[in-house]
Amino acid sequence: MGKGKTMAEGSRNEPAMDAKRFAALAAAYGGDLRRWPEAERMAGAVFAASEAGQAILRHAGTLDGLLDSYRVEAPGKILHGAILQAAGRHLVQRRRQRFWWLGLGLAGIGLAGAVAGLALVSIVTPEVQPDHYVLDANATAFGDAGPDRDTIEEDL
Amino acid sequence: MSADPDEELVRRVGAGDPAAVQTLVARKLPRILALAVRMLGDATEAEDVAQETFLRIWRHALSWRRGNARFDSWIHRVTLNLCYDRLRRRRQWVTDDLPEMVDPSTLPDAHPQEDALRVEQALQGIAPRQREAIILVYYQEMSNIEAAATLQISVDALESLLSRGRRSLQTILARDGADE
Repeated sequence: MGKGKTMAEGSRNEPAMDAKRFAALAAAYGGDLRRWPEAERMAGAVFAASEAGQAILRHAGTLDGLLDSYRVEAPGKILHGAILQAAGRHLVQRRRQRFWWLGLGLAGIGLAGAVAGLALVSIVTPEVQPDHYVLDANATAFGDAGPDRDTIEEDL
Repeated sequence: MSADPDEELVRRVGAGDPAAVQTLVARKLPRILALAVRMLGDATEAEDVAQETFLRIWRHALSWRRGNARFDSWIHRVTLNLCYDRLRRRRQWVTDDLPEMVDPSTLPDAHPQEDALRVEQALQGIAPRQREAIILVYYQEMSNIEAAATLQISVDALESLLSRGRRSLQTILARDGADE
């Protein structure tokens, strides 16, 4: 392979790709350029037309062929149904939780309103004097009629 | 970042729309199951992982907000984490050593049924990080950027994992072919 063939010209927007990079991409992403990084696909396609490019892609394609043979069966109806049932249960549970939280919220609002109302009543309502109160045994309508402190001291 | 094709559907699932739930299961279950089967090499365990993944989707759909990753990348990450939990339990870790280079032309001729089994076994024989890189890019058809974001590594690191993984597979498959 001539030196000129190891470097393919890229598109106007992409740098040209050399054989080393082309081989590295094929080793990582395989021989199908659709799996290659989008930014390097165009330059890769240009190089792929060369003899060296063809050889590298053939080399990578052997493993791709084997990988393609490993297919996984589609999900069965039982699994599909079990997942949908679990989703249904989850939705019902969430609705209940939402309802429960809503009830709790309303109760909280009601309680807060009651507390605020009580507080407001206690602030706004003037202090009510009692109709009567129990007088101290020594008190009279004219004041304290207990023994005079000065008199007591004199007596001593 | 381009728009997430699943964003609206996930929002509807979060709002409790049963039709959206059905659409999401139809859209994602085959991908999730295929990922788990190939990671674990066991269909029954993979079904359990798929169910657990969806339980997490239902739980998080309401609060899910697109950050750096798409919804598809997020569910792949969830599935892979659940697979890793099971692999840890099984203690089936393998070394991350590089096998010798082999010429793929020495790989045995293709016989679809046998080949599928050999590839399945070979995938289980390589390091889990290499396996998940190959599965995401090759089988799940993720772009290199999406796969790197899902694995939370750089694109360069992804390419390295892919190259080493493919080389490991070639070595195992060539050895198995020679044993037959």
